Amino acid sequence: MNNLINLLPAFVFLMVLLYVSYYIQKTSSSDRSKNFVKDYFIGGRTLGGFVLAMTTVATYSSVSTYVGGPGMAWQIGYGWLYMAIVQVVVVFLVMGVFGKRMALVAHKIDAVTVIDVIRSRYQNDTLANIAAGVIVLFFCATMVAQFVGAAKLFEAVTGFSYLTGLTLFGLIVVVYTTIGGFKGVAVTDAICAIAMLAGLAILFYSMLKTAGGYDAIMTHIQTADPAMLEPLSRGKMPLSLYISQWLLVGVCTLALPQSVVRSISYKDTKALSNAMIIGTIMIGAITLVATWIGVLSKGILTNPSIAAYGGSVDNITPRTIVACMSPFWAGVTIIGPIAATISTISSLLLTGSSSIIKDIYMNVQAKKGQIVTNDQVKKLSMACTLIMGLAVYFIAIVPPDLIWKINMFAFGGLETAFFWVMIFGMFWSKANSKGALWCLVGGVLSYCVTMALGIKVFSLHQIVIGIGVSLILFLLGNSLGQPTEEKVLRVFFPDQYED
Amino acid sequence: MKESAKFKQANREAKATVVATILVILFWCAAGFGLADSQIMFLHTPLWVWGGCVGTWIFSVIVAVVLARYVFMDMSLDADKEVKDHE
Repeated sequence: MNNLINLLPAFVFLMVLLYVSYYIQKTSSSDRSKNFVKDYFIGGRTLGGFVLAMTTVATYSSVSTYVGGPGMAWQIGYGWLYMAIVQVVVVFLVMGVFGKRMALVAHKIDAVTVIDVIRSRYQNDTLANIAAGVIVLFFCATMVAQFVGAAKLFEAVTGFSYLTGLTLFGLIVVVYTTIGGFKGVAVTDAICAIAMLAGLAILFYSMLKTAGGYDAIMTHIQTADPAMLEPLSRGKMPLSLYISQWLLVGVCTLALPQSVVRSISYKDTKALSNAMIIGTIMIGAITLVATWIGVLSKGILTNPSIAAYGGSVDNITPRTIVACMSPFWAGVTIIGPIAATISTISSLLLTGSSSIIKDIYMNVQAKKGQIVTNDQVKKLSMACTLIMGLAVYFIAIVPPDLIWKINMFAFGGLETAFFWVMIFGMFWSKANSKGALWCLVGGVLSYCVTMALGIKVFSLHQIVIGIGVSLILFLLGNSLGQPTEEKVLRVFFPDQYED
Repeated sequence: MKESAKFKQANREAKATVVATILVILFWCAAGFGLADSQIMFLHTPLWVWGGCVGTWIFSVIVAVVLARYVFMDMSLDADKEVKDHE
């Protein structure tokens, strides 16, 4: 089945994204010559509701939505779907809590990145630079994991080698992110989100057709593995896992920098309101269908032992696709997971690049009193995006072991780093830089160490330790630190300074 | 709208969002775990799956609509522009 017809649909799709990005770059060249940083990193604050919703959802949905999640659902059953659906809160949560206040502040201080806001709120360069470093580090780890997951899936479905897949979509996403900037990322993300949903719909339909209908699959599950019909799956799905997931992929996603940055990029408040609705519909639809497919694949891959499928739940999705579809339609369906992967990569890459250029390099130059011209910034930003992307691509060619663990690990690390720093920074005027610094450093360290040693509290995920320790350290540091200057507080909390 | 009023409104919206999230969590518990012992099947699928998964999604969409249409207020994000308007 190793023929070009497998490859063609994905290739055409990627070419469309490349063209869209090129077109956007061409039309925004006049904005870029005026203020490159603003156009390149937040699209000149022009996102409308639909694109804002789609880019938030596409950034959030990753290759795990297609591979890890459905694979586990094959093993656990509807309990996994019940757990995955907690993600429906993430879009309205981040937009509702931070959307307005971040935008109001960002317009006042002309912020382009989340770090810009943190720097001017806490007036502390050490804090801002460490935060930028944390972003770069954890983002790179996530990007490698995404590339590896998607390339493996590609290999299993199309029969082309791991390297062929990785090179095809890896290089294209790096190139289109580099030229398209934030606007390019946002629009291609929107296309990707639609492609994801379409790919899932095709797969869902083919599965039902192959297995002889939904009822037939459910009847099979009822007799073969009735535990799949219980939320706790007869002990395979403990309550602690539900609680962990509510924190890890639900509530604590609130302060993820790649989501929060979208709160400073929209056009007007109408766009924000519309995006909350559209985004909640979309994220729920993608999560429901993708994970439900995983449950139903039990009716396709009927051997009860995972050993029959290569010993890894990651093989469930590709084998289901191959079992249900002709090579051409399998080639169409693979667009879905590729779209999920590259839409996450593009956003992380651009935010990572903004951390290096805008948050670290330009700040250092400004401190030295050196002026960086618009043209220099343009060259440096694009070069940085390109180099970072290529570095991630090369690491993914020979991936480190445990890459899957790194993905969720990085997710929790970012949450630990930014949760309290962002919430207290935006909503508590007494929060000061010492508290934030202790919280960031201590929280991330305690999270990483307990993760590495496998220490858990009440068998909950280490995010609980990270969030708990960082809260305590914030309050402790805060009580010892100096309050923030009134000049700054008047910018961030004008509601508390009414004359 | 005055600047301080905008920030106050943004605070109200943030608080309402937190309340909305808590409501979704409660709904999720009630419509999923709450129905787990029921033996009723709908389309060969246990009732708690419909309530806890599909139901939570629909409930969240309703929550988002209520927030967006009834709690959130439209405002200009640029402080300077409005000051100029007054002058």
